[in-house]
Amino acid sequence: MNYKYVGQPYNRPDAISKVTGKAVYLDDVRLPDMLHAAVLRPEFAHARVLNVDTSEAEKCEGVVKVVTGKGCEFRYGDNIKDLQPMAVDKVRYIGEPVAAVIADTLAHARAAMEKIKVDYEPLPVYIDAVDAMAKDAVLIHKDLDKYWRLPTLKETPGTNIANTYHLKKGRGEEGFDEAEVIIEEEFNYPLGSCSAIEPHGTIVWFKEDKTIECWSTTICPFIIREDLAHSYGVPVSDVRVHTPDLGGCFGYKSDVTTEQTIAWIASFVPGYPVKWVGTRQEDYTSTLLAHGMRTKMKIGAKKDGTLVAMKTTIYHTGGAYADTAVNVTIASTHNSTGPYEFKHCDLTGYTVYTNTPAVGAYRGYGHQESQIATERMMDLLARKLGMDPIELRKKNFLSEGKVNAVGETMWKHNGNIQECADRVQKMLYSKPKPAEDDQYYYGRAMVTVMKSPKGASFSTKGCYMKMNVDGSVNINMGGAEVGQGLRTVVKQVAAEALKIDPSRIRVYNEIDTQFSPYEWQTIGSMFTTQGGRAVIRAANKLIAQLRKTAAQVLKTDEDYLEYDGDFFYLGNDPSVRVAVTELARGYITSDGITIGEIAQAVSDARLPRYSNPDENGQGSIGVSYTMGSQAVELRIEKKTGKIIVDHYYSVFDVGQVINPLQIRGSVLGGAMMSIGAALYEEVVFDKDGKITNPHFFKYHLPTYKEAPEQTIEFVETPDPVGPFGARGIGEHSVIGAAPAILNAVYDAIGVDFFEIPLTPDKIKKALEARKESK
Amino acid sequence: MTFTINGKERTVDYEPEMMLIDVIREVLNLTGTKHGCDNSTCGTCTVVMNGKAIKSCNTPAAKAAGAEILTVEGLANGTALHPVQKALSESGAVQCGFCTPGIIMELYGLLESNPDASETEMTNALNKHLCRCTGYEPIRNGAEIAQKVMQEKSK
Repeated sequence: MNYKYVGQPYNRPDAISKVTGKAVYLDDVRLPDMLHAAVLRPEFAHARVLNVDTSEAEKCEGVVKVVTGKGCEFRYGDNIKDLQPMAVDKVRYIGEPVAAVIADTLAHARAAMEKIKVDYEPLPVYIDAVDAMAKDAVLIHKDLDKYWRLPTLKETPGTNIANTYHLKKGRGEEGFDEAEVIIEEEFNYPLGSCSAIEPHGTIVWFKEDKTIECWSTTICPFIIREDLAHSYGVPVSDVRVHTPDLGGCFGYKSDVTTEQTIAWIASFVPGYPVKWVGTRQEDYTSTLLAHGMRTKMKIGAKKDGTLVAMKTTIYHTGGAYADTAVNVTIASTHNSTGPYEFKHCDLTGYTVYTNTPAVGAYRGYGHQESQIATERMMDLLARKLGMDPIELRKKNFLSEGKVNAVGETMWKHNGNIQECADRVQKMLYSKPKPAEDDQYYYGRAMVTVMKSPKGASFSTKGCYMKMNVDGSVNINMGGAEVGQGLRTVVKQVAAEALKIDPSRIRVYNEIDTQFSPYEWQTIGSMFTTQGGRAVIRAANKLIAQLRKTAAQVLKTDEDYLEYDGDFFYLGNDPSVRVAVTELARGYITSDGITIGEIAQAVSDARLPRYSNPDENGQGSIGVSYTMGSQAVELRIEKKTGKIIVDHYYSVFDVGQVINPLQIRGSVLGGAMMSIGAALYEEVVFDKDGKITNPHFFKYHLPTYKEAPEQTIEFVETPDPVGPFGARGIGEHSVIGAAPAILNAVYDAIGVDFFEIPLTPDKIKKALEARKESK
Repeated sequence: MTFTINGKERTVDYEPEMMLIDVIREVLNLTGTKHGCDNSTCGTCTVVMNGKAIKSCNTPAAKAAGAEILTVEGLANGTALHPVQKALSESGAVQCGFCTPGIIMELYGLLESNPDASETEMTNALNKHLCRCTGYEPIRNGAEIAQKVMQEKSK
């Protein structure tokens, strides 16, 4: 569709403040009498805390208070209340808060922290879900059945299994009796980190009037508000949470992360704001990690390539606290079918306690972790069937009329994955692959992917819109701007809906729970879909208000009036009209009597009929899907085993492009991140549970020189839920890289890999092994 | 210690263990310069000292004595942006914006002294900076536009 403002490359409103250094991020917030906290982390990843001696630290210069977890009786969490703000009698991972120093300066706090003495009794350490599930494993949480949890979640008492999710479609595993060919493999997507360039940070201020004010690097200020209110027994209205400008999120600034710890610390010095900003090391050890999934996958098919049955078992290294991991496991499990129809599914996901930092959201939310398996399996199955792997995929797409794993029937408006795959295939194979030369092997491969949102069924996004006396409009929303450019999206959608130029619309600059409309949290690639819908609803309400006043002014019925953004006028006589500017704050008649409401509207939007799954994991838990295809052209350097990605392709059906500049930027960045995960990134633990690479030296983020050329296109099959047909795209670009690269490596050197990151060492070893076997 | 920052002469007290970034952010409250890592890898703390882009997180504060320092706050003239700022703000190079100040100062340091910097010089300069959002392409586009504008100006 052609729209006036939707589809245009408007520039983001926060670009200027960001290039002039005036954007205010968490660490830039300065408050009167602000104190600084340093948090002590344990020497052991799993240990009883026998004694914490703070006496020496208390004597240090500038120290106001030394805090421990002693006396903390509450637990918190959004899904499972298994978290505590500071260790009470046990530490369960290497980054856990053990004690903290509050001082006048950060340097003083850090110096005093070194003087705290802690006695530990070490316990066995489990780094991997599979080890933690062993029969004789020591329990990381002894009383896990005593924790409050969502009614849909199920722990296994006496084990380290925090939750087991199961989905059965059709005849489940029995369905394999209809298969003629069966393959089974195991894959590993190891622990990683979102690694936004801005580390986590939080300020909490217990105020003299018993209210609590908090600033944090969070995309869920409303959850934090409710959580703090619950923990400290104050009304939600007495907690005020601010989200300043955010220096990237990519997932791990969702859910409650460091806020409860800093609140606990600050609660000991009421009257003073206490600030903590993570070092890069703490950002790895003491916030949320990502991935950590082993996927066992079995696929059954007919000889003609028709997929019949899938069995997936996911072992998720959930970390020391499972509150943030559990939904990632679930999303990963029920989306492990990828964009294909299987008549029978038996899908199981275990979220397992381990002595690693808690795993939480990472852009893609479980999809890349299990679809690395699905997309490798498609190539392996095709090889076994003697079929072309792309034809195999195309034969089984979740296209119109097919039924996905959770039992939802797919419609045309769920997206044209066929078209995405056709385009990528054409681009990738339009020229011959370079022949092997002295220096390099060459490989290429394409994959197809899908993602559904994952949220709470009550998740909604609010919009507050007010029209000013000159007809300009201010819009506040509760959505967190992490870099994705949602303010531009709101502006363009509102302009289209209100029929006014975007230059007359100003979208909020920061979230403050006191003034911003409610939003659950800005996750799941759902802001454009839900938030955009909320904007249209608010715009329609606002126009309806104006229309009501206009009908009074023009002495006619509302439905006779037309609206063009500037005027309401009679359809049959446009000369009878009144300007919007005369209506915005009510219409002032010639004798001063004023009629009509102020033009302002509040609205919100959920996903329609989004529900909890039933006992077989069936239900309306996807609603909106985005599908697409990605491909890679790569080279392997013979001498070093290094993989060089030369070209990366992405085509997604996004329903409607709102802003071509921003959507390209989003996909460019997502592709780069996932290439990083596939080639370089892994958070590495030693056997004692210490992270050996908690910094950018060794946890290598992709650099400028490693960025491939990218071709990015979009198919536009309008979606009925999102604004003007748009659907989510924020996370989808990260799904394809790992399997595409692994499949392309097979294309290059004929070796199958089942895990990432695919480092030069692994390639070199494989090349040597291949030489020996020849 | 006395030095010039963004065109103003300043005299400040500082602790001997402080790095230049601590003086800039904590003493002078110029918060545009960012902390992104612990070991001088990410580049977002980059400022220009005596005409050269340097990392302020590993430069001891004492080294700034008598120096001329420019931070991201010092580039614009009122609402008139420096060409590097303007180009990057329009090319899609800004998403979360946290790496942006460092990249702007890097390009400023390079292009003000050498508007005809080669592609290799540009690449080597930008390779010192980590960006998690953009996949780098829009940063390259912005840098190229900025270079063209500055080449025109220097003619």
